Amino acid sequence: MIFKCKNCGGNSVYSPEKKRMYCPFCESENSEERQYEHARMQICPNCGGEVSYTEHTSALQCPYCENYIIFDERIEGAYAPGRIILFKLSKENVKELIRDKFRKCTFAPTDFLSEARLNTITGEYIPFWIYNYDARCRFQGEGVKRRTWVTGNTEYTETSYYHVVRDMNIDFQGIPADASVKMPDEIMDLLEPYNYGEMIPFRPEYMSGFLGEKYNMAAEIIENRAHAKMESSAATILQQSIKGYSSLKPAYRNIAAPSPDTEFALLPVWVYRYIYKEKEYPFYVNGQTGKIIGSTPVSKAKVWAYGATLWACLTIALVLIAVIIM
Amino acid sequence: MENDFKREARKQYWLFFRFWFIGIGILAVTATVMAMAQNTTRFVRERQNMQAPSERVYDYANVLTDAEEDKLRELIAEKEALIGCDLVLVTMEQPVEGVEAKETYGYRFADWESNMQDIADDFYDNHFFGYDAPYGDGALLLDNWYEGQEGTHLSTCGKVFDKFGDREIDRALTCVDDYIDSDPYSAYSASILYITEVMSGEKTGLGSVFLLLILIVPIAAAGTFTGTHLRSKEGKITTTATTYIEGGRPVMNVQRDDFVRKHVSQRKIQTSSSSSGGGGGRGGAHVSSGGHSHGGGSHRR
Repeated sequence: MIFKCKNCGGNSVYSPEKKRMYCPFCESENSEERQYEHARMQICPNCGGEVSYTEHTSALQCPYCENYIIFDERIEGAYAPGRIILFKLSKENVKELIRDKFRKCTFAPTDFLSEARLNTITGEYIPFWIYNYDARCRFQGEGVKRRTWVTGNTEYTETSYYHVVRDMNIDFQGIPADASVKMPDEIMDLLEPYNYGEMIPFRPEYMSGFLGEKYNMAAEIIENRAHAKMESSAATILQQSIKGYSSLKPAYRNIAAPSPDTEFALLPVWVYRYIYKEKEYPFYVNGQTGKIIGSTPVSKAKVWAYGATLWACLTIALVLIAVIIM
Repeated sequence: MENDFKREARKQYWLFFRFWFIGIGILAVTATVMAMAQNTTRFVRERQNMQAPSERVYDYANVLTDAEEDKLRELIAEKEALIGCDLVLVTMEQPVEGVEAKETYGYRFADWESNMQDIADDFYDNHFFGYDAPYGDGALLLDNWYEGQEGTHLSTCGKVFDKFGDREIDRALTCVDDYIDSDPYSAYSASILYITEVMSGEKTGLGSVFLLLILIVPIAAAGTFTGTHLRSKEGKITTTATTYIEGGRPVMNVQRDDFVRKHVSQRKIQTSSSSSGGGGGRGGAHVSSGGHSHGGGSHRR
C-alpha cells in the first residue's frame, strides 16, 4: 500500500516533528488515504518501476518516484506487530546530533559531516521480540565478616560466620532482542534502552516515510539472547542484595524463569552508512532517545603525525622548563 | 578536491596545536632571556673574605710538580668563582698516630682520624679560609703521605658543610683513593671537580629526575593519545541490571543473615626500630678546637 494525500496526490508520510501524517508536497496534515492495497511486490504500484527487496522487507522507498511502499502481507496476520515506538527524532534532528557528536573528531575524513553524505540517512523500523520473564532467584551460603583491632602490641582478628539466605522474585518486563539478521546484535544492544512508556498499538500509516522489516526469525529462536540478559541482570541484583561480607561461600544458587511472554514490536533506528576507502562505516541512532552508536573511520597516518607532534612538543616544552628552572 | 582536503587537514593541524606552538615559543623566549641574564650574573659573585691568603695549594709532602701545582691553582681559582666556596689542598708527611706523635706534635688525641680532623680544621681556621667570611664557605682536603699512616681527610665548612652528607664526603674521598697511587694530581683534581659538581647545583638530584620526566612523560602522553585515537569505541552500554525490572526492584521473599558463630584470634605485633642514614648534608658534624662548626670524614689507605 501507499499513503497518498487526498488533496494533491503526493506521498503522505509520518512526521516525527508534527507527530502526525503530513504531505511534504502540499503541507496538508492528516490528509492520507490508503491506495494500492495488496499490490504486487516486484513493481512500484505508483510508477511501475522495478523495486528490489529482500525476503524480510516490509517497507521501502521506490528508487524512481520516491514513494514509500508498505507490503501489506508483511505487516498482517502472523507478521502484524503488536506495538510500535514511533520516530521521535526527525532526519534533521539526527543530522544535527551527528554533527554535534563528531564535530571535534579530528581524525574523521573531511566529508564525513557533509550535507550530501548526511542526507543519505534512512529511518528504519527494526523488528524486535520483547520478552517478559517472571524470574526467581534463590541463594544460600556462608558469609564471613572480619574485624581487626589493636590493643597494646597485640592485634586481634574477630571472624564471624553468617548463614545467608535470599529468595526473590524479579519481574522483568520488555527485554528486547532484535529479530533482524542484517542488524548487528551487539550494536542493537548498545542502542538500548528505549522508553516503553511511549510504545503504542501498531498502525500501518506509521511506517510511511520509513523502511521496515518483518521479523526474520521466530521468538523462540533468539530467546537465548534475552535469557542471557535476564540472567546476567538477576545475578547482579542477587549479588547487590548480599552486602557487608569479607567473603562469601555459596552452597546453593539458582536463577530460574518459566517460558517468557513475548511480543513483536517495531523500534525506530536511524542508519547512516558512511563509505570511506571502499569500506562501510555504519552509524546507528536510536530514533527515540538519540543515542548514537558507531565509530568514525580513522586516518592512521594523521593519528601518528599528531602523536609524533605531541611528543615533540612535550619534549621541547619540558627541556625548556628544565633550562628555565635550573 | 584532493587539494582542498589537504588544505583543510593542514588548517586542522595548526588549529589543533596552536596553543602548544605558542606555549613553546613563550618558553623558548623566556629560556633565552634567562640564559643571557645568568651569563652576565653568574661569575660576578664577589669574594667577601679578604683575610685569607691567596694560596690554595700547600704541597708540604712535595708530591706534585710545580707545573701540577700551578694547574691545580688555576682549576681551583676557576671553580671557586663558580660555586662561591674556598677549596684548599694540603699535603703533609707527618706521623699523626700514637702516644709518641701526640707528645712530639702536641696533638689532642692519639688516634689517626681525630688528629687528621684536628689538623684539617685548624689549618682552615688558622688561615681564615671561607669564601664569604673567615671560617665561612669552603672545604679543605688534607692528604697525609707519612708511611704507614697514609690517608685523606675532607673538612667541610659553611655551605659545603650544609650540603655534604656522609655519602658526598665518602665520594669526594673515593675520588682521591681512585688515582692517588698512580697520579696524585688527577686524584686531587677529581675530588675538587666532584665537590664543584655537587656545589654547583641541583644537577645531581633534580637533573636526573627531570631527565627521567623528559624521557617518560612525552612518550606516555603521545602513546596514550595515539592509542586512544587509533582504537575508536562504538558506544557505551547505557542499560543497568534494573533497566527492565518492573518497579525497578525485585520482590524479596526471604532475606536472612543469621549469625552462626565467631572466633577471635590474636597476634603479637613485631616492632622493628631501624633508622636510615645518608643524604641531606651535614655529614660528620663537629666543632673544631677553635670553636667553629665543621663537617668531614676520612679515608685511610
